[in-house]
Amino acid sequence: MSASGSRTPPAHVLIVGGGGTGGALAHDLTLRGLKVTLVERAEFTSGTTGRHHGLLHSGARYAVNDRESAVECIEENTILRRICPGTFEENDGLFVAVTDEDMEYHDDFVKGCAECGIPTQELTRDEALALEPNLNPALKAAVRVPDATMDAMRMPLRFFATAQKNGADLRNYMEVLELVVNQRVVGGALVRDHVTGKVGEIRADLVVNATGPWSEKVAAMAGVDVPISPSPGVMLALRGRLCNMVVNRLHRSGDGDIVVPQRALSIVGTSSWTVEDPEELDVPEDHVRRMYEEGVKLIPAVAQAEFRAAWSAARPLIGSRGAADTGRELSRTFKTYDHAETDGVEGFLTITGGKATTLRGMAELCADVICRKLGVEALCRTRDTILLPHTELFAA
Amino acid sequence: MSQTGIPGADERRARGPVLRKGLGPRPIGWLDPRGRALGHVAFVGNRITGLGLVFYLYLHLGVLSMLLRGESAWNDFLGLATTTIFLLLDILLLFGLLYHGLNGLRVALVGMGYVPNLQRALWWAGTVIGTLVLLAGALHILEDV
Amino acid sequence: MQTSPAVEDAVGTVAAASESRRLRVFRFKRGDERPHYETFDVPTIARTTVLDALRWIQNHRDRTLALRHSCLHASCGTCGIRVNGREALACVTRVRDLGREITVEPVANLPVLTDLVVDMREFFIRFPDEHPSVRESEFLPESEPPEGIEAFERYEDCIECGLCLSACPVVVTAERYVGPAALAWTERVVEEPRGGDVANLLAWADDPDGVWRCHAIFECTAACPSNVNPAARIMSLRGTLLGRRLRAHRREDHAT
Repeated sequence: MSASGSRTPPAHVLIVGGGGTGGALAHDLTLRGLKVTLVERAEFTSGTTGRHHGLLHSGARYAVNDRESAVECIEENTILRRICPGTFEENDGLFVAVTDEDMEYHDDFVKGCAECGIPTQELTRDEALALEPNLNPALKAAVRVPDATMDAMRMPLRFFATAQKNGADLRNYMEVLELVVNQRVVGGALVRDHVTGKVGEIRADLVVNATGPWSEKVAAMAGVDVPISPSPGVMLALRGRLCNMVVNRLHRSGDGDIVVPQRALSIVGTSSWTVEDPEELDVPEDHVRRMYEEGVKLIPAVAQAEFRAAWSAARPLIGSRGAADTGRELSRTFKTYDHAETDGVEGFLTITGGKATTLRGMAELCADVICRKLGVEALCRTRDTILLPHTELFAA
Repeated sequence: MSQTGIPGADERRARGPVLRKGLGPRPIGWLDPRGRALGHVAFVGNRITGLGLVFYLYLHLGVLSMLLRGESAWNDFLGLATTTIFLLLDILLLFGLLYHGLNGLRVALVGMGYVPNLQRALWWAGTVIGTLVLLAGALHILEDV
Repeated sequence: MQTSPAVEDAVGTVAAASESRRLRVFRFKRGDERPHYETFDVPTIARTTVLDALRWIQNHRDRTLALRHSCLHASCGTCGIRVNGREALACVTRVRDLGREITVEPVANLPVLTDLVVDMREFFIRFPDEHPSVRESEFLPESEPPEGIEAFERYEDCIECGLCLSACPVVVTAERYVGPAALAWTERVVEEPRGGDVANLLAWADDPDGVWRCHAIFECTAACPSNVNPAARIMSLRGTLLGRRLRAHRREDHAT
């Protein structure tokens, strides 16, 4: 029932893509009373979302160069701790200066954090080593920030679990083969159910493309282009929990400047390059070596730690390539493309960008756009809705 | 709380068996220790010797029942019991008793939570002790052969 | 930088020769009368994992092959499979450590949804309701947590992969057995309650289909990729329960 009181059935939104973005959006829209179907071709979070190192951003990394991102991060950081209790290792993080060059960045960093509302604490070398004995003993300064560690899959799964409990139809192993397009109106999707092997159609009032680095491929099914290029990065998992806090390098962003603990492993990341196809990502040897080289500067024990895994994950990088970038900027970090406005194709939206930490905030702004478009008057309730545990997704 | 006082037990019983759909190892799969670790080999040994000892128990009762048939029947049996093949089977029986007993001791100690992380060491200790006793026993049994 | 054996192992042999491996993959779609196996020849290099090979098959041979994966680094536990009959996480199992022909099957004792994907609802239904994910960190005991933080936290080891359940020979025939993962988790809460109802959980475990169904085979501990050691934890629970029983009897004796 829409807010106007007439007994029309709720609008049906089909979300393509079961990553953090899709899950958070399904949760938000379901709370606003819409009917939601989400299709994901493999397991939820199996694209980019599940693969990251698990950092719950404090935003400190962006405090100097990208103030808006930093503020978004710290806000969402606080909200997520509230709505996902018991889901984070709330050990805080350290930004560690190792060289004189790093020290030049130090003051701007602390000032930037203060201006963005990110609480920091200055630590002496001895204090830092008392907190984290494995740190490089040659460190020059350390700043404590409210980073935390998340399980990259299980935190977003809480959004899925809650959405499902509230009535969303979440279908994994269901792959979109084509979008149903009729005279420049997208009306649904043709899907293959990998459980049965059969092909079928799902009709909806609105289709949302939330496929991350695959956004371009899916958008092409509707005959539109979105300027999103997959930008992979390499990460390294080593045996041994070398730190309990997140350890960052105090410098402008670079490769291999973070070590995140994950259970009894330590994840060193990351690097960056661009590719055309997000499907088969390489794991370049020189990038893996670079992770070791840079990781060692933060925690020397990295050099001897036993190898567990090395892999790549593709960020969806928003950029204009030649054509005018007409997507609506909801923020510097993520965008929604309403293809009715940008390309004259009705019933189709692409949402992309963002980071794992901002999934809820991204979904809120996108859901606002969707509700405005569909004439649904409903406010976002995700800031204060405590999410179900991820195991509820598998409740019989 | 349920009738039995065990939380969740009634719901579990009402739900019935957890679905298995028949895909996976066959019920007799426990017998196949290939690709399995030491604990599984020990378990298979225990089950086989256990079955063997139960079988022996019935056999033994059957044999003793021959006493009911009088002296000559018993003497015939004794003649059989001193043949080499029978003595070798006795050694096999000794092996079964030793294995099942020593491994049983291991399972009891481990199963009561005393030394779970020494389960492999206990198995090897049992094997050494058992082998020595078996050799001594075998030599004694075959002394007059 | 001086390269260590660890680094060389990570990047694989430098002049990695490309070779080919044969994968025999279990296939099943709902509605099929019975499953069947399909064989694929997959190009591999030194660092290729079983998951890499399976995804290659998905991308180059058969788009309908259904796989479960997410983190690619043994943290999410979704890629559990059986390789040549042994339980393993596909994302960290290198094909170079296996034979020429590699048989890939879904984990055992859980119903198969499609191809290598199993229905994890039958895994999670075995767990008690109390299921906390975060515990106190026992790593780096010499470090002091910063002010405002009482103790460092970390995730529980168990990544809910189901390999222990697959490896357990008892689960095959004892269909209501709650299994190693659920019991290990319960023992962790008994060890570190975090406000959990320990008495209730011990009563939950003290069931013919709980701790007492275990035969101390230890396959679960051998299969676990995450150092949970479920078998030892089950034994520890049994010890606790036995101790309580004996003390209760002694109290009764003294009372009479």
